[in-house]
Amino acid sequence: MFYAQLIVNGLVQGLIVGLAALAVTLVFGVARFANAATGDTMTFGAYAALIGHKATGSLVVAGGAAVGATALLSLTVYALVFRKLAGRSVVALLVTSIGVGFLLRSVLGIVFGHNQQLFTVPLVRPIRFNGLIINPFDLQLAAVAAVALVGVFLVLYATPIGRRMRAVADNRELALVSGIRPERVMIALWLLVGAVTGVAGMMLGMKTIVSPELGWEMLLPAFAAAILGGIGSPVGAVLAGLLLGVAQELSTPFVGFTYKLSISFVVLLLVLLVRPRGLFGRLEGVR
Amino acid sequence: MEAYLVAIAIVALIYVLLALGLTLQYGFTGLINFGHVGFFAIGAYTSAILAMNGLPLVLSFAAGTIVAGLAAWPIGLIALRLRDDYFAIVTLGFSETVRLVITSEKWLTNGVQGIPAIPRMFAGISVGSLASFAVLAVLLVVTIVAILGMGRIVKSPFGRIIEAIRDNEDAVKALGKDPARFKVQVLILGSGLAGLAGAFYAHYITYIVPDQFIPLVTFYVWMAIIIGGVGRVSGAVVGTVLLMVLLEGSRFIRDVMPFISDVEMASVRLGVIGLLLILFTIYRPQGLMGDFTRR
Amino acid sequence: MSLQITDIRKAFGGFQALDGVTLTVGEGQLVGLIGPNGAGKSTLFSVVSGFIEADTGEVRFKGADLGRQSPAARARKGLLRTFQVPREFSHLTVRDNLKAAAPGQTGEGLVGLFLRPGEVARQEVEITAKADEVIAFLRLGPVADLPSGRLSGGQKKLLELGRALMVEPSLILLDEPFAGVNPVLIEELVERIRELNARGIGFLIIEHDLQALTRLVPILHVMDRGRILASGTPGEVLEDPKVREAYLGGAA
Ligand SMILES: Nc1ncnc2c1ncn2[C@@H]1O[C@H](COP(=O)(O)OP(=O)(O)OP(=O)(O)O)[C@@H](O)[C@H]1O
Ligand SMILES: [Mg+2]
Repeated sequence: MFYAQLIVNGLVQGLIVGLAALAVTLVFGVARFANAATGDTMTFGAYAALIGHKATGSLVVAGGAAVGATALLSLTVYALVFRKLAGRSVVALLVTSIGVGFLLRSVLGIVFGHNQQLFTVPLVRPIRFNGLIINPFDLQLAAVAAVALVGVFLVLYATPIGRRMRAVADNRELALVSGIRPERVMIALWLLVGAVTGVAGMMLGMKTIVSPELGWEMLLPAFAAAILGGIGSPVGAVLAGLLLGVAQELSTPFVGFTYKLSISFVVLLLVLLVRPRGLFGRLEGVR
Repeated sequence: MEAYLVAIAIVALIYVLLALGLTLQYGFTGLINFGHVGFFAIGAYTSAILAMNGLPLVLSFAAGTIVAGLAAWPIGLIALRLRDDYFAIVTLGFSETVRLVITSEKWLTNGVQGIPAIPRMFAGISVGSLASFAVLAVLLVVTIVAILGMGRIVKSPFGRIIEAIRDNEDAVKALGKDPARFKVQVLILGSGLAGLAGAFYAHYITYIVPDQFIPLVTFYVWMAIIIGGVGRVSGAVVGTVLLMVLLEGSRFIRDVMPFISDVEMASVRLGVIGLLLILFTIYRPQGLMGDFTRR
Repeated sequence: MSLQITDIRKAFGGFQALDGVTLTVGEGQLVGLIGPNGAGKSTLFSVVSGFIEADTGEVRFKGADLGRQSPAARARKGLLRTFQVPREFSHLTVRDNLKAAAPGQTGEGLVGLFLRPGEVARQEVEITAKADEVIAFLRLGPVADLPSGRLSGGQKKLLELGRALMVEPSLILLDEPFAGVNPVLIEELVERIRELNARGIGFLIIEHDLQALTRLVPILHVMDRGRILASGTPGEVLEDPKVREAYLGGAA
């Protein structure tokens, strides 16, 4: 029973990791780099949600604020920074994304201060189900995540721009010669990624305490899940995120609270040991 | 004022050692090490703990260097088969894990409370300023030796191969050489330097806590070598000097504007580092001294 | 037999890039390998040189099964390859590119570097002399001290060959050595390869420039869709209707 409870607890955490990993994997698949600003962009989403929530008290408004503001931020960062680095090396993009993350965290710290802030959500009596304790608020969060996921997958698999995005991810050269305009795909990509990151950030903020350092800690789990799920595979990222979230919770009784954060690192190492290019990594030939 | 300058010079030289290690790893070999601070921490804690238990400083410094270098070995064996960007992520994860370990293993590291009252170097010299000068002198000699050693390495057949690996790893394999062997050595050397820097840091600051070993430190060093010019020994030195001006300059801002709090200042510093990383990568990727493409 | 390739198969995802390739290159032979784009020629080189692991099949070199040996181990046995897209060490000079390729350097080990400086210096002199020989042989003198990234495509092809020569090769796999090389230089290169062959070095050469290739090699294999379609003298092979169809079909 104890473990079942841990699994339930891990699922919400796993959804957050999964959403973050989804953002990482989309950027990796289409724009071809590991975006280290993902964590701090989540923090931004959490603050946006916080403001929305404080102003109106409505969770829906909070969600809308997180999605809208983070999508805009994401697009702006693309336009001002990443677009200028098209065609540059992996390191250039990686280092720059670290810089973007630092800058974001710094601005958030200056604007909002370093006091920890809380979402004031009404306390609701937990639901007991076969001895499992389920927080209705978690159910709401899970529903939000589900809606976000359905939205992303609809965009990816049921819209023309989503198809183009996947085409670019699949084979960039081929996509470009077949007349896909990369600029549009990129704009759509960064909006979508921003929205996903915003939702992930809001959920994270609601589960814990909002502070400028909030998102950074999610970066490694997000990378780990993205690699575990096979870089560039949206479904894989979400599933791997859930897996990691649950694994983290399940490991807590054995390794303690601090080390549960390193579970994702260990899982990452194990996966890469067996499959140096990730579970479903693509082959790259030598010509 | 004099004491202040000596203090800055000491910290600057510690960063120069870190930057030299990363220059060897990234600048010459192309290894994207995002976990440099992890090896710095290992060196600092190893030397501090051993010295607290009575080991002479010469030996504890050597141990810090060696343990940090050896820690790079398994990481190298695992991670060197990986693509560049995965390597970056794994090393970042490694340094965060090191921080978790020193936070959690209280019996060894005293956890978040950290290790206070670490033995100073030249504790025998009773005049504080003289002792500081002695530390500076030793550090200067060590740094010069490191620079000369690195100069010798990069101009040698070994240096030729690691630069070849940076430029095209598969071609190196096709010529009958095993890049992994060289990369592991480079990783160990650079991490050993970081460990040595850590030992100097611990015994100079005399008080270490896990929070001093956050990834930001790694990116301070990255910023230094990017500003200075990647793949040049001179770039590492010049970049570090500029980094110190920046970090210390921000301290002076507080002297003029005392209403800015500590945490706010930390935020500002973080932002400046972030901005510089972005601007330099976009507009001046070769750094100030020119990178290996313009030697 | 120097190189024996037996029934190599390799699929990428669902795509069968190599579909049972069998081919041999005798000691010191000059052999050509042609075929339309995407036939699997370069993939075959990657399998033989150990960069790609085949799904099934066997590669033997000088009688011994190469199994899953690394590319480096194969090169050390004298089985060298060049790349279709040149892979020069772009920030090193041409001379340093060649010197980097020289085997058995004491100064490549950190211990040797610091403990046996005399030996390292002596070897440097030898290696430099050897590199200069190769530079002269390939007529790369005028660019010897230029960063190799600044060379023309043709010069890079020469450099690729030159690096392989530094390693004491007994068989070199050349992937499109004439592509992007100007006609005068191709003549030159054909001559050089003949000379090297006369010294006992074997070659397996992928090339689309059939004119140049057929003057060079007495034996030609044609690949199409992962299989060997035809083998024989250039004359026989190019008359083969299957080959003509493959090329026309490939072009259509
Ligand atoms: N790593 C890989 N992953 C997936 N497909 C690959 C890979 N390498 C090669 N291919 C495919 O295998 C086929 C054969 O490629 P290969 O490079 O061997 O052809 P080739 O005969 O050398 O052609 P060319 O004359 O154009 O160089 C091509 O269709 C190519 O797209
Ligand atoms: Mg080819």
